[in-house]
Amino acid sequence: MINSVKELEKAALDVRINLLKLCNVEAIHIGGDLSITDAMTVLWQYKMNYDPDNIEDENRDRFVLSKGHASAVTSFNQAAIGCFKAEDVINEYAKDGGRFSMHSCNLVNPYVEVSTGSLGHGMPVACGMAAALRMKGNKSSRVYTVMGDGEQSEGSIWEAVANAVHYKLGNLVALVDCNGFEADGSIDDITGLGDIASKYRAFGWNTVEVNGNNVEELKSCFDKLPAPDSDVPTVIICHTIKGKGVNFMENNPRWHAGKISNEQLEDAIRCLNDEYNRKWNS
Amino acid sequence: MDKKSFLRDVTGEYMVTLGARDDRVTVVNADLAGTCRNRGFGETYPDRVFNVGIAEQNMVSFAAGLAAEGYIPYTFSMAPFLTMRACEQCRTDVAYGNRSVRLMGVYAGVSGGISGATHWAIEDVGIMTSIPGIDVYELSDANQAKRLLDMSLMHNGPMYIRTSVEPVTDLYPEDIEVSRGGSTLVCEGEDGAFLCSGVIVQYAKKAAEMIKEKNGATIRVIDMYSIKPIDREAIISASGTGRIVVAQDHNIVGGLGSIVATTLATEGIGVRFKIVGIPDEYVAMAHPGYLYNKFGLDAEGLCKTMTEMLN
Repeated sequence: MINSVKELEKAALDVRINLLKLCNVEAIHIGGDLSITDAMTVLWQYKMNYDPDNIEDENRDRFVLSKGHASAVTSFNQAAIGCFKAEDVINEYAKDGGRFSMHSCNLVNPYVEVSTGSLGHGMPVACGMAAALRMKGNKSSRVYTVMGDGEQSEGSIWEAVANAVHYKLGNLVALVDCNGFEADGSIDDITGLGDIASKYRAFGWNTVEVNGNNVEELKSCFDKLPAPDSDVPTVIICHTIKGKGVNFMENNPRWHAGKISNEQLEDAIRCLNDEYNRKWNS
Repeated sequence: MDKKSFLRDVTGEYMVTLGARDDRVTVVNADLAGTCRNRGFGETYPDRVFNVGIAEQNMVSFAAGLAAEGYIPYTFSMAPFLTMRACEQCRTDVAYGNRSVRLMGVYAGVSGGISGATHWAIEDVGIMTSIPGIDVYELSDANQAKRLLDMSLMHNGPMYIRTSVEPVTDLYPEDIEVSRGGSTLVCEGEDGAFLCSGVIVQYAKKAAEMIKEKNGATIRVIDMYSIKPIDREAIISASGTGRIVVAQDHNIVGGLGSIVATTLATEGIGVRFKIVGIPDEYVAMAHPGYLYNKFGLDAEGLCKTMTEMLN
């Protein structure tokens, strides 16, 4: 577990660099990987109780990637805590017989609790898992799920949103990566979803809004989560920037998914390192 | 008069027995606990029952989540909503994840009758058998239903179980043997064979009796309750009679008939062959008896089809 904000920011930097290296080899969903990198890093490398050497531990926290296309950022965080090596992800990604691909698959990767990819599925499954933990009398584990903002258009999400409140699933923590874009462009230009936070509030969720690209805010938000045996599910609305950290990708729908050149890779890594070094004077 | 049973009563009520036997058993409803007759389970085991409201997609995904944590959830709904509204959830959350969810679909075929096509499932067997990893069963009898539910506690992986709301004649003893990939010989015969499932088995049995009385021909009746995996040996053996009529309350495309035909073709067997079912069209709401007569699925219709084949 990493405690300091500086070290967590370094961990997020490392994840971003790995994402870009992968993006230089294969086309990945880089925009939505980068937007949720900070939240995923704080979740996996600071908050979650998950031991790669004991993945069946009944008391572990569960993770369901509802926005299944953010598989790479998940894999690199799992690599950082020792599930496998970051090089494994880069070498095996989208390779026949490999463990990693466009969407996470538990047929080949045991660190994936639930295979996802089709939007609007992970959240309802996570809701069932949270209810199951309650039935088992597990008072310490949480189920975390990460969704996209575009994914909020799926009706099945809202079936589960109502359900989680009804079943008092305080052990369920949902993150929404609000980067403002989906595959076809700006959500507001497609079918606007309005104020997503107020919708969750109206359903009765404990609703927290954070700058989803601010590690310090995220850390403090995770610190303040209600106890897992409490009665109200929590949603963390993460206001993020799609393509965060790479100038030419930020808020540019062109980089929903894609592959970068060697030059773009060098540029992007230099840019990320500079920003980190500027902040921490190292 | 033959004794009759309602299979949704039998399956819904039997959940209490299953619940007593195995504390992993849970029930997830989508506002049709009453229709699916499983209220008893919720009354007996209030901590192991969920009702997600009118939200079939969520019912199936939620159940997949319970199964991921080691429970055996039984989801109940009308077959069309379970297999079509929640089709992708059955496929992605249950089958792809190989979760031991039991998908219990009542209102199989046109048994929803006067509710109309919205409440019929004439496509469900085609849909569910095409999803890798889901075993598909159709129930024809009360004791068979109980033994199949007993078996459902043992199987690792998803199961889809379709039942009619029409009453069925009690055919089998309490200890009727049921197995994955099995079938039940309802009556022996050498001049032709009815391969059927569900509510139609009783009509095929009656049709065989009518044919014997009329012209002395003996017709084999096989209850193909395990639709996937299918009992290939029973099909191959039935082809020895020279005449096969497959009858199911389902579209003639994609149902039991398609599976039997594929099996025969794969085995290189030529045989006089006919599929009886809903002829690939939607029709207006009507009582099931009227519809079975219209489609030739009742005893008279099946008798006529087989008799024509005998001539």
